[in-house]
Amino acid sequence: MDFELDEDQIALQSAAAEILQKECPPSLLRAVIDGKGVDDDLWQTLVGLDWPALAIDPDAGGSGATAVELGLVIEQLGYVADPTPFLATATQFAPVIEASSDAEQRRRFLGPIATGGTGTLAVAGPTGRWDPADPPVSAERTSGGVRLSGRASFVIDGDRADEIAVLAATDSGPLAVVVPRADATVTREPAFDLTMHVTTVDLTGVTVPDDRVLAVDDPTAAFTAALESAVTGLSLMTVGACQRAFDMALAYTKERHQFDVPIGSFQALKHKAVDMYTLIERARALGLFAALCIAEGDPRRPLAAAMAKAAAGDAQHLVFKHTVQFFGGIGFTWENDLHLYLRRAKAAELIFGGAAHHRAIVGRHVLSGADL
Amino acid sequence: MKLTFDAETESFRQTFVDWLEANMPPEAATTERPSSTADLPQWARDWQRTQFDAGWLVPGNPPEYGGQNATLIQQFIHNEVLATRHVADSFNPQALGIIVPSILTFGTEEQKERWAIPILRGELTAALGMSEPNAGSDLAGLRTKAVLDGEEFVLNGQKVWTSGAHDADVILTFVRTDPDAPKHKGISCILVPTDTEGVTRRPFGSYISPEDLDFNEVFFDDARVPAENLLGPLNAGWKVANGSLGHERAMLWLNYSAALDRFVDEFRNAVAGTDAADDDRLVDWYGSVAIDAQAVKLLGYRTLAKTRRGMIPTEQSILKLFSSESNQDAHARAIEELGALGLDHETLSGPFRHLHLDGYMNSWFDGYLRTFAGTIAGGTSEIQRNIVAERVLGMPR
Repeated sequence: MDFELDEDQIALQSAAAEILQKECPPSLLRAVIDGKGVDDDLWQTLVGLDWPALAIDPDAGGSGATAVELGLVIEQLGYVADPTPFLATATQFAPVIEASSDAEQRRRFLGPIATGGTGTLAVAGPTGRWDPADPPVSAERTSGGVRLSGRASFVIDGDRADEIAVLAATDSGPLAVVVPRADATVTREPAFDLTMHVTTVDLTGVTVPDDRVLAVDDPTAAFTAALESAVTGLSLMTVGACQRAFDMALAYTKERHQFDVPIGSFQALKHKAVDMYTLIERARALGLFAALCIAEGDPRRPLAAAMAKAAAGDAQHLVFKHTVQFFGGIGFTWENDLHLYLRRAKAAELIFGGAAHHRAIVGRHVLSGADL
Repeated sequence: MKLTFDAETESFRQTFVDWLEANMPPEAATTERPSSTADLPQWARDWQRTQFDAGWLVPGNPPEYGGQNATLIQQFIHNEVLATRHVADSFNPQALGIIVPSILTFGTEEQKERWAIPILRGELTAALGMSEPNAGSDLAGLRTKAVLDGEEFVLNGQKVWTSGAHDADVILTFVRTDPDAPKHKGISCILVPTDTEGVTRRPFGSYISPEDLDFNEVFFDDARVPAENLLGPLNAGWKVANGSLGHERAMLWLNYSAALDRFVDEFRNAVAGTDAADDDRLVDWYGSVAIDAQAVKLLGYRTLAKTRRGMIPTEQSILKLFSSESNQDAHARAIEELGALGLDHETLSGPFRHLHLDGYMNSWFDGYLRTFAGTIAGGTSEIQRNIVAERVLGMPR
């Protein structure tokens, strides 16, 4: 395996880091949180760079790069706790549409992404499980369309996505349906990640025409595969957020003096720092491996995605508690920016299944003899 | 970034696999077990010689030193094949991994002829004399001294943990030659034949068993060694030590990775046919070990790729630390998960696996005990953390 970025990938990674740190400083996050600012300009910048459509096929209006390039950008988005609808659009909505065998449908729903169109996916019910075998929404065929019923929970960016990909159960098996957000009743729910839009989407009574039913043979499989992309994206976003918190805390140990020496000279902090570094590197490697499996259509992708999400969860757990501790009282203040990134890392752990959920997937897989 | 190597590299792999399958000694020929890391039964000497003659012992070396001038990626493929099949190339691993590369890097042509080639051919065995009772993590604090007296060095002092010394023909010994210099600058490196008068080797049992005799105390009492046995310049021993430990570091992770992979396989076999998959706690833990095993592999591949491109592979620094601790935790949990079945403990004289170097533990408990070699030898986990914090993360000393 050649597990290192090539020159183009490194160039993309540094461009993303540079642009995002400039365009999305903590002050922007705070303005969004305080309701005094919006992230529209940032989103337009991302669209202008063609990043939301980075991994979308050129035939459908995208840039034709792979999940690896997309993953590199997402990690940098995590580093700035991106407040835009990027992740849901590129890693949750787009992969569902890509499963359509109808080229016209793919162009119709993926094409707008290149010019700022947004989307998301709805699979989870009120208990917070993303199980495509058990969707919270049902549908029945009517003349010329399908009528939906039910409510999807924990839909990311449901309130600002143009389109929502919904998995709906019917008597004759599930359907993948694309619903205009304007037709749904969407409620943004309170969440501790103050720039993440967590919503409930009520679809009861919404009717969509047949051309909004995706041409996929196995909608459950299509959503399962899309969730692997979603989980991989979220894992890399977590890695980025963890790296930001870690970098901040590490810099602080070199500046802050107590007992006449920098606190970073104390072994107690050094050992914790190395443990954080290790878990971040572990999560990054597994996140990129999952992206590579997606890019190459490797059959290990479900296992790789689960490993990535579990590892990201392990990293954020340690990074959260150690970085606050490194800052001491300063880390306990609203003014310190650390919590902006820790909120994102912890929120990412709680959606699309946490570390324990994904470890169990890996454990059962490998116990039954699956190859790594 | 790609999941596979190019066709040329894969064809090199196939060539080696084919050679290996045609030339590995059969299991029936390898039943006499090495008693220490410097004890080579005749079959192990023959096996090493076979590889040497075919240029497969150290593929990166030129043919006169058992290689074929293989590229870095080819050397990696060779190591990977051996590691994933758990086949040992030498049963005197410290000689092949550390001592020979040190001689080839720092030695004179005479020293290469006299020592390196016979060691490579399996005709001589070697041990590494670094640690002392008061020089463990602080290796540069070593006190065994050597004084030049005419054409000879006179050695006095004591080494400890010298693996395989009682079976070795020569000990690469680190000694203090300038007691007045700063401690890193007064060390030299000398090849000491073990039949030298005044050299006493005393093997002692490990906590695995009193019969598990690999560790030695080695005493030097006015032991006289020809001055020509000095390896590298006088007082440049620290450079040799760092060079020694640096050799093949880019690929050492393969062994750590193989150990974790083996654990994943063996535990799966141990619980096959049970209802382990229904135990959420067990599955959670086992999944975590599998994730560690995969992460070690990925970080390893990343260090390889970076090394090939002339970049500094900082991830390398955490591979030993991370994999040895993961392996240790995994073994501890395995025994506990097995419950009373984990008590099972065959004797050391039990059968061992074909051509495995260290896969000969006969119980999960032995396996657990042996994992502490990973977290103590070659730099304790605590020292590793200090090094990573200071050199990689730039934290103040």
